[in-house]
Amino acid sequence: MVNFTILQVVLLTLLAFIKHVDYYGIPMIFVNYAVFWGLITGVVMGDWKTGLVIGGTIQLMQLGVAGFGGSSIPDYGTMAIIATAYGVTLGSDTGLAIGLPVGMLGIQLDVVAKILNGFVVEKSQKFCNEGKFNQMNAILWVCPALFGLCAALPVFVSVTLGQPAVNWLLEVMPQWFLSGLTLAGKMLPAVGIAMLLRYMPTAKYFQYLLAGFFLSAFLNVPIIGAAIVGVALAIAFYQRAERDTELAAHASADAFIGEDE
Amino acid sequence: MENENITAVAEGKPSGYKVTKKDLRNANWRWLMSVCTFNYQTQQGASVAYALSPVLRKIYTNDEDYKQALNNHFRYYNTQPWLAAIILGACVAMEERDGLAAADAVQDLKIGTMGPLAGVGDSLLMTMIPTIMGSIAAYMAIEGNPVGAGIWFALILAIFWVRMHALEFGYKQGVKLVTDFSEKLPNLTAASVLGLTVVGCLIASVIGVTCPISFSFGDVAMEIQPLLDKILPAMIPAAITGSAYYLLTKKNASMTALILVVIVLAMVASAAGILA
Repeated sequence: MVNFTILQVVLLTLLAFIKHVDYYGIPMIFVNYAVFWGLITGVVMGDWKTGLVIGGTIQLMQLGVAGFGGSSIPDYGTMAIIATAYGVTLGSDTGLAIGLPVGMLGIQLDVVAKILNGFVVEKSQKFCNEGKFNQMNAILWVCPALFGLCAALPVFVSVTLGQPAVNWLLEVMPQWFLSGLTLAGKMLPAVGIAMLLRYMPTAKYFQYLLAGFFLSAFLNVPIIGAAIVGVALAIAFYQRAERDTELAAHASADAFIGEDE
Repeated sequence: MENENITAVAEGKPSGYKVTKKDLRNANWRWLMSVCTFNYQTQQGASVAYALSPVLRKIYTNDEDYKQALNNHFRYYNTQPWLAAIILGACVAMEERDGLAAADAVQDLKIGTMGPLAGVGDSLLMTMIPTIMGSIAAYMAIEGNPVGAGIWFALILAIFWVRMHALEFGYKQGVKLVTDFSEKLPNLTAASVLGLTVVGCLIASVIGVTCPISFSFGDVAMEIQPLLDKILPAMIPAAITGSAYYLLTKKNASMTALILVVIVLAMVASAAGILA
């Protein structure tokens, strides 16, 4: 059984609010990265280590996943906060099982906030055209507050109303569900990595992907080691690209002179 | 000419105000609003107006000009916000010099650089760094070690310091920088080389899925996983990543759908004892 104190509920809700305002720009430090929010929640709950472990686990699922151009992605930070809040008492696996569904639901709220923001911005521009410049700026602060609520509401509901539901769920939750979620946690980094590869010139420079895979799969080189090899390869690539640009410049200059004659 | 301050400057012309370092820093801080006003119509447009409104007020003393300049910035804008600060700095320089006459050029500059900045910023700043630093931090975190998260945080703070000077930098460099930058852009592919090498390593190390199936012939038990490892270590992670990549690129699957599919598949595969 889990029982949160009023202070914990307030702090967790506030944390979620701050997290999302940070995520959308002010000041965009932790950008919803689960490892940090798990750690911070752990500190709030008085068990930073569990928070760190849970945050790290979710961070792996988050690898390579980033929301661009207003696309909505699962809310991994909220997942980390809820999973840690419950995980401190119930253990990290159970915490994750509770946090994961809420994080997935976060996507829907994000869309609502973006729609509401449209009205706020419209109003702001109206103030501008009426010459009410102070109001024009002031009303825009509604927008980050709306985004803050997108995380604060799910967290608040999860740690208050959600408690009986969670306790009930824990009693009936089958083992296959829990172990299935653990496996999902191991498989999800593949989706993130595939997403990352999609934004990179993967097809064109497949050889470097192979090199990195070889280093880890056959030689057990850790990530930092692979990064060092990657830097070496990148420098070689850069030097070659510079030389090619210079040669191309010369070639076109020669061609120009040739035409002139 | 003692009434120079009182008479309004000619329509559309800048006031002749010299933008200070303080104005630029202020605009840079206000630009933190960036994605906070995100909406489906103008995306980050309102944040640009919010960020530049104090400095534009000094450039345009005439209310009507000021409104026009603000409306110009309220228009659709969307790119990677950290790099956008450089462009906004250049816009301030242009409007300081030419006033509303620069409005179209300002739009062209903003629209023209949106794509390249988003391309570089999203892949490098928002994906590559979080992937590399995130995997290091996560690996250490799982073992209860906060050092990796600490290193990442230090890098984040360093980047933040640079971000807070980006608008001023853009103001000083002006448009020249942007053209130089576009010429140098192809060489940034070198960063992808580093990225791909690291990602290749990640595939083999981050996805810890194995096959627990084992057959027993009388007394002899035969496990599948060591057999797979002899053929190709990390074969299952490579296969999963490959399938996900195929679905994303060739089948245009959405990431959210893919995540849900993976969760369901994991439930089934785990219950059936095929994967662990």
